[in-house]
Amino acid sequence: MSACDVMRAFGKRRVVGPLNLDAHRGERIALVGPNGSGKSTFLRCVAGTLTPSTGSVHVGGHPAGTRQARRLIGVSLSQERSFYLRLSGYANLLVFAQLREPIGRARADVAEIVEELGIAPIAAQRVDRCSTGMVQQLALARALLGAPALLMLDEPTRSLDTAAIDRLWAAIDRRPEVAVLFATHRDHDIARCDRAVDFEPS
Amino acid sequence: MTSELSLRAHALRALIRRDWLVARSYRTSLVTDLVFGFLNLLIYYFVARALRPRIGVNLDGAPSYFAFATAGVVLALVLQAGTVVLARRVREEQLTGTLEMLVAQPIDPPELALGLAGFPFLFAVGRAFLYLLLAGVFLGLSFAHTSWVGLVVALCSAGVGFAAIGISIAAIILVFKRGDVLAPAVVVALTLLGGAVFPTQVLPGWLDALSYATPTRYAFEAVRGAQFGAHSWIVPSLILIGFAVVGLAVGLYLFTLALRYTARHGTLNQY
Repeated sequence: MSACDVMRAFGKRRVVGPLNLDAHRGERIALVGPNGSGKSTFLRCVAGTLTPSTGSVHVGGHPAGTRQARRLIGVSLSQERSFYLRLSGYANLLVFAQLREPIGRARADVAEIVEELGIAPIAAQRVDRCSTGMVQQLALARALLGAPALLMLDEPTRSLDTAAIDRLWAAIDRRPEVAVLFATHRDHDIARCDRAVDFEPS
Repeated sequence: MTSELSLRAHALRALIRRDWLVARSYRTSLVTDLVFGFLNLLIYYFVARALRPRIGVNLDGAPSYFAFATAGVVLALVLQAGTVVLARRVREEQLTGTLEMLVAQPIDPPELALGLAGFPFLFAVGRAFLYLLLAGVFLGLSFAHTSWVGLVVALCSAGVGFAAIGISIAAIILVFKRGDVLAPAVVVALTLLGGAVFPTQVLPGWLDALSYATPTRYAFEAVRGAQFGAHSWIVPSLILIGFAVVGLAVGLYLFTLALRYTARHGTLNQY
């Protein structure tokens, strides 16, 4: 992932940048900064759901927001309700897996990730009956679908218990080739990254 | 190329299946919705009885006012599903944040639009057939002169055409957020202009002329032509298909532009 002079403003308020950042294969980068410093906004620019006001972002050589770039990205943004609340966690994961893979592979992928993260009891429940922490674990599972080359996690440990945090990091450790952008406030998470990038409020 | 196409088909199927699962989870609402459609027919059944003997205008070959209105009511349901339901769906996705997660996946805006429109379209066409069947069984609607091929072609092309209108409205909602009034207003206008429950001959001349520019007029003509056999269903169906193709291209283009707009303005998730 390569972000070149990325700046994002809302009206006259500059929220991010200008920022230059490269994330290489296997590199874990902590995005650090107080609330409102633009970490989530930057992740959205890389995910392609927000266009930078100036500058450019490329993922695997493809401009952010293109189908090819999005295929390389697994993302968990800070939207706790970004699931179909009336459906089970498993049904939700399967919907998103099928947007990336054929049905057979999607089913296998979901089953593997659910088992890997130890979230079978959560995945079996309807999402509207899950706690915030449970939904956050589903969001991590969704980000891992389709074997992304770049994983972007926005405060993924915020509501997790210690065991769930350990499982999250174990899942990342099992994917040493994956580049990770990890927005966080926690020292424990920052310590597990290769480097940290400070976001200052503009 | 084939695998890419197959992946796109999987994505469409996933979105349609998701909507079916969500709709099924609201069982009471699903049943009420189906019952409401039948009650609607029942109203026109009794209105038709009150208007006996035949009213003095050409009813597009329909043997009774009830038979005439049935086609209109059933198609109005398809139109409503293709527009109001889709518009509501897009707004819900926008509010909950699922829309942003969908946009972050490797699917193109037209696929997303078609995926969002897929279930409302299929469900509405299925409901239309169900209501016609119920009207036949319980309310004496005759199918003696019906061309079933014509009916399928007319309903499906009407569904696609109406879905195209729905996708355009969804694009407007993405940009302007509040579309609560817009979609129902479009439904009412198109239903009235097209001649859903009264023949267009009773409209003032200029409105009758305007109705030729609406897909609903051809949809009603095609369905009534197929149902009653008094005139051809092929010509209005072909015009309707033309509307559907052009409308779909325009709708998908507008939806793509709307998503780009929301990404540029940071409003994909805005309340």
